This record gives sequence, C-alpha cells and structure tokens, in this order.
Amino acid sequence: MRALKYALGEALISLWRSRSSGIFSIATIAATLLIFGGFLLIASNLEPLVESWSAAAELSVYLTDEVSDGERTEIEALLVASDLVDAREYVSRAEALARFSREFSDLNAALGGDEENPFPASFEVRLRAGVDETAAVDALADRLRQTAGVDDIRYDRVWLERLSAAATLLRAVIIGFAAVLLAGAALTVSNVVRLAFYARRDEIEIMRLVGAPAAYLHGPFLAEGVVQGGLGAGLALGILWIAFAFARDRYGDLVTGVLGLGELVFLPGRYAWLIVGGGMVVGCLGGLIATWRDPGRGARPRRTTSEA
Amino acid sequence: MIEITHLSKVYSRGLYALRDLSLAVETGEFVFLTGVSGAGKSTLLRLLLREELPTTGELVVNGQDVTRLRRGALQTYRRSLGVVFQDFKLIPRKTVFENVAFVQHVLGVPLGQRQRRTFQVLKWVGLQHRMNAYPQELSGGEQQRIAIARAVINEPTLILADEPTGNLDPDLSLEIMNLFREVNSKGTTVLIATHDRELIRRVDRRSVILESGRIVEAA
Repeated sequence: MRALKYALGEALISLWRSRSSGIFSIATIAATLLIFGGFLLIASNLEPLVESWSAAAELSVYLTDEVSDGERTEIEALLVASDLVDAREYVSRAEALARFSREFSDLNAALGGDEENPFPASFEVRLRAGVDETAAVDALADRLRQTAGVDDIRYDRVWLERLSAAATLLRAVIIGFAAVLLAGAALTVSNVVRLAFYARRDEIEIMRLVGAPAAYLHGPFLAEGVVQGGLGAGLALGILWIAFAFARDRYGDLVTGVLGLGELVFLPGRYAWLIVGGGMVVGCLGGLIATWRDPGRGARPRRTTSEA
Repeated sequence: MIEITHLSKVYSRGLYALRDLSLAVETGEFVFLTGVSGAGKSTLLRLLLREELPTTGELVVNGQDVTRLRRGALQTYRRSLGVVFQDFKLIPRKTVFENVAFVQHVLGVPLGQRQRRTFQVLKWVGLQHRMNAYPQELSGGEQQRIAIARAVINEPTLILADEPTGNLDPDLSLEIMNLFREVNSKGTTVLIATHDRELIRRVDRRSVILESGRIVEAA
C-alpha cells in the first residue's frame, strides 16, 4: 500500500513534468480506444436489432392459393408434431395484405387497388430457442415442401446464420485491428515512460544502492503507464459520448427509422469498463516494456570472466 | 565483519582490477583503503556493495556471502549498509529532508518516527536549518554532510565511503572525517577509500594500501 501510494505520487509528478510527451501518449491511447469504443457502440446498438430478427419468424411456409382446409390442417399438424417448433401463426391472404398495407402504406398504390390480392397465405413458424440442428430443420422443411398445399418454404435462419458469421468475421477483424493499434499505443507509452526512466536514471541508481525494493524502483513507471492508459480511456469515452450525443440528436430519428431500432443508447457499463480497463492494461504494458531492460531488474549482475 | 579471501576481479581483455586479495576488517574498525587511481579501491567497494560480482574468491560481510545474495536479500543487505560517494549522489528533485528520510520511507518507518529520526541526524550533521533546501542549493561540504546523514539514518553496521572528501578542501575534509569518526565511536565499522595520504595521516587509523589490485602494505 505504501509502495502503491509512493508509485502513484511519483507517477503523477512525472506526468506533470513531462506533460507534452504525456499528452501525446494519452492522445494515442485515446485515438485507439476511440476506434474500438466506436465499434462497441455500434455493436451494442445493433444487438437489439439482431435479437429481434432472431426472435422473428424463422421458417415461413407459403401455401398455394388453392389450398384446402384439410391440407392446411395437415400442414399445421406436421408443425405441431415437430419438436423443433416453438410457435406457429397462420397468416391468411387477407391478413398478409392488411399487414403489408399497414407497414408499407406508401406502397399501397402499387397493389393496384381492386386487383386480386397478390399475397399468399402462410404459416410463420418460430423455432425453439437454442435449436441449432440445421439438418433437422432442413428435413422438416423438405417434408413440408412435399406436403400438398405448400407452395414454398423460406428458411430465415440461413441468412441469419450468414449474417451472424459475417458479424463474427467483422468482429474478429476489428478486434485484430484494435489489437495492432493497442500494441502501437503500448509502444508509444513505453517510449514516453522510458524517457522519464532515463531522465531519472541517476535517481534510480541511488535508490538501488540504498536497497529500495523493486516496487519503489519500477512501480512509479508502471503507475505512470497505468495513469496514461486510464486518462486515454477516459478521454476516448468522453469524445465518444460527445460524438454519440451529436449523432443521436442529428441523425437519431433517421437511423432508428431506417433500421427499425428503438432509442439509440450509449455504451453499456460493461463496455465502458472494458475500455477503461483495456487502456490501463495497455499503459501498464507500456510501463513494463519501458523498464524491462533496466539492469536492476535482474538479481545478479553478470560475473565477468578472465581472458588472461 | 568483512572477510575477503583470494578475491580477484578481472575485466574483459584480461585487465585485473583486483588480484588475489585477502583482507579482514573487524567489527567497529575504521579502515582506510588507499592507493593511486586504478589501484582497485573503488572496485573493492563496488564488490562490497554487490554492484559487481568478483571473478574468483569469497566476500563475506556479517556472515553473509555477498556474491550469493538473491534480489530480496540483496536489498535487505544494502539497507544494512551506509554508503557515501565522492559525488554525493543526492536526488536533485527531493529536498534535503526527503533525501535523508527516503531510506526510512522505503523501510516503512512510520511518518512521525521518520520525521523525528531525520531531524535528529540532520541536527547531528548541523544542517537541520537547511532541511527544506534542494541539494543544488547547498555547498559541496553541505551536500556531503547530507549524504552522511542519509548513510547513518538506519544505524548501519557498516559504512562504505568512496573518496568522500575528493571534492572538498582540507578543512571540510577533516570535518567530514570527524563525522565518520563519531559514527565509528558508536560501534559502526567504517571503510573509506581515499587517495588523500595527508588526511589518512591526520585521522590516524588503520590503512590498507592497494597497488594494481594487490595489498602492498597494511598499517
């Protein structure tokens, strides 16, 4: 605790003394975390959309116009009997037309007024949560396709899976990109901290000679890295919040309208803490790199050997 | 207190800094190490401080083999020493008080006790009135007195001093030596490396003369 207090105090003094290079280092971390935070912000706002898509009908069974009541009952019986089906809803042709008119009122004119209803009747089927048996769902779809009265089957899960795979790939790319940027930020911190380390080399030497423990020798430099990382993360969160507030006020309605989202929200607490923690870890890594080559780290100086 | 047996230190290209040196210093002794520049005085002190390791030989201080100390033990060992350098080695951005109190801070001595002890040693070296000054605001003699105050604050059993009067005039040198004598009179072993024969004559204590890394005379 004593060493921690000492390290923090020394780190703040050192940061203040080398504030111009410190600001550069903090700005680098902030820029990196801003990119990462921006991605998290977008992802956290799109999460409800993906969830709502996933919760929506996953299997649509379109019926022929000539389907009889008996055929429809048989199709429904097949769905009821399947272990994969959680819920089903029958949507009649009239209901489908009404739903379209309600959701796309601007396109009502395109329906041609008195002409025949172009929408087929259908069953919208929601699969059980956690069902991940693509082969079984495919088998159910094949069976339904061969049933009289079924015109077509649309299996939404396929494109949802593709969307999910694309999102996973995108996430991996962004995490990889962020990792490279964070490594760069750690090196920037390490260079700034190393400058402070060299500036105080004599002092560290004196401390070593009077028997100061490693926590006193290197602690201030690790703490300096952590403080830089924390400040960088705080700055990134601040800029992100201002950018978010600006975008929400200016484009919020447009975005929520187009994507069918609810209200836009800022980063959830867990993501904000992830950014702050990430910044501190990056800063600490920078401090470690900066002091790594300090000969005082090793317990034993090298024994010189005789060449005589 | 100090037992040095067949100690050699060889640098690269076969340059001997110390050659088969054996020396014993008893507890409470006051010993001068002397000799011309390059005789091996500072090398011996560096080995005693475990800044370097010997090439061969044994180096035992207070029963501990200094060459085998691990990191934690090395820190504890160094805290049991008092060290004084020719260039004072004070921390420029710390005040006189902070420079002296630092070692006790590292040891976790409570603040009140630390303040009392620091004031006490500053008073002993006659610089309590300069405790808020920075080292660069002090004269050479004052800086060395601060360095001595820092060296004695933990009441070490052994004080090592490398040319502590090298930057001082003769009168100031004698003042500094008087401080060492006073510390020694309380039982602390003192080992001082100096090339100042006149000072050794005036202080009149045991002296060990080194030449090319060997002891050539002990008086």
